[in-house]
Amino acid sequence: MTGPESKKASSPGVMNWFRSAYRFSTDRNDFRRNLLVNLGLFVAGVWVARNLSDFDLMSPQPVA
Amino acid sequence: MGSVLAAASPSPAPAASQDSPVIPGFGSVPPGFTMPPLSSVTPASGSDQQGSKSDSLLSNPGTYEECHQKCKEVFPLQMEGVRLVVNKGLSNHFQVSHTITLSTQSDSGYRFGTTYVGSTQTGPAESFPVMVGDMDNTGSLNAQVIHQLTKALRSKIAIQTQQHKFVNWQCDVEHRGEDFTAAVTFGNPDILAGSGKRIVDLSLPYTRPGEEGTVTSLLGRYTGEKFIATLTMGGAGAHATYYHKANDQLQVGVEFEASMRMQDTTTSFGYQLDLPKANLLFKGKMDSNWVVGGTIEKKLVPLPLTLALGALLNHRKNKFQCGFGVTIG
Repeated sequence: MTGPESKKASSPGVMNWFRSAYRFSTDRNDFRRNLLVNLGLFVAGVWVARNLSDFDLMSPQPVA
Repeated sequence: MGSVLAAASPSPAPAASQDSPVIPGFGSVPPGFTMPPLSSVTPASGSDQQGSKSDSLLSNPGTYEECHQKCKEVFPLQMEGVRLVVNKGLSNHFQVSHTITLSTQSDSGYRFGTTYVGSTQTGPAESFPVMVGDMDNTGSLNAQVIHQLTKALRSKIAIQTQQHKFVNWQCDVEHRGEDFTAAVTFGNPDILAGSGKRIVDLSLPYTRPGEEGTVTSLLGRYTGEKFIATLTMGGAGAHATYYHKANDQLQVGVEFEASMRMQDTTTSFGYQLDLPKANLLFKGKMDSNWVVGGTIEKKLVPLPLTLALGALLNHRKNKFQCGFGVTIG
């Protein structure tokens, strides 16, 4: 009966990992965390700039 | 890195419109005036048609201190209080400006500015020498002289005083080659005390009596058909910008800054909407510090009047700031 026991042993490890990942991602005072979040925001901003900015404001409006 | 003056400007520059280019630390030049671009990327001039596209990508990248300028121009300037600017051209070479500022956060006052552009024309939009001066009612002076010494050599002298005391003075010489730019800047040189700051593009030997140090940084720039991506990295941190021109009306800029000394990072997203048919220019920004801001400039044709409104909202600190400006001439 090592299956359920091994599962129980690994699930606290997984839970610990999730807890530490949650603490890392919500700790605003952590420089590394802020660096990763802002890098992700920068990449998202570049993606938005390249893909979602091709609209023409002076084009005629569609008639309803 | 870069210009001492740009970091030490006593008052924020007024909102610049499309035909009033901004001089770093001095504000906008009156419209209709010929001003040399301080860091223009020279267009490909080779006669080789096959390599024309690669020639344009290998053209002069400009100076180090203005490598992020294209992206920064997209972001709105912070406006606070009331500003009235009157520009008057006295001749083809000489213009004066009067600026009255009313503010609750900074000092209110009056500034008198002058701009002189010489008659030595080196290009279709470049004339030298250029002298720009600005003095406020307390006697504090900002002055800059730019002159093209030879075809490839350009010099600049900048001075800043607080009332009668000289605060910053710097001199730089820039050599512009076909595909490179090399510059040497001397900041606050004091021969008697043996102190000063010397900046040579990628390296910064900083010398004071009894204290020496060197900081090196790297710059990389990739220019595409519609975008410019720039990255500078050094011991103090990293700075990355991405500029994208979507079309004639819309330009977008994304900026990332990380400071190892302050242990802080910031990402900003800005855009500029230009509608010349409506005489309207709108700039907006938002950043990772929960700050949202925008400025709108409207030319009140046929009057020689430009109206500017700006606002900034800091959600995290619950602070709001707005400004209003009128430019005549």
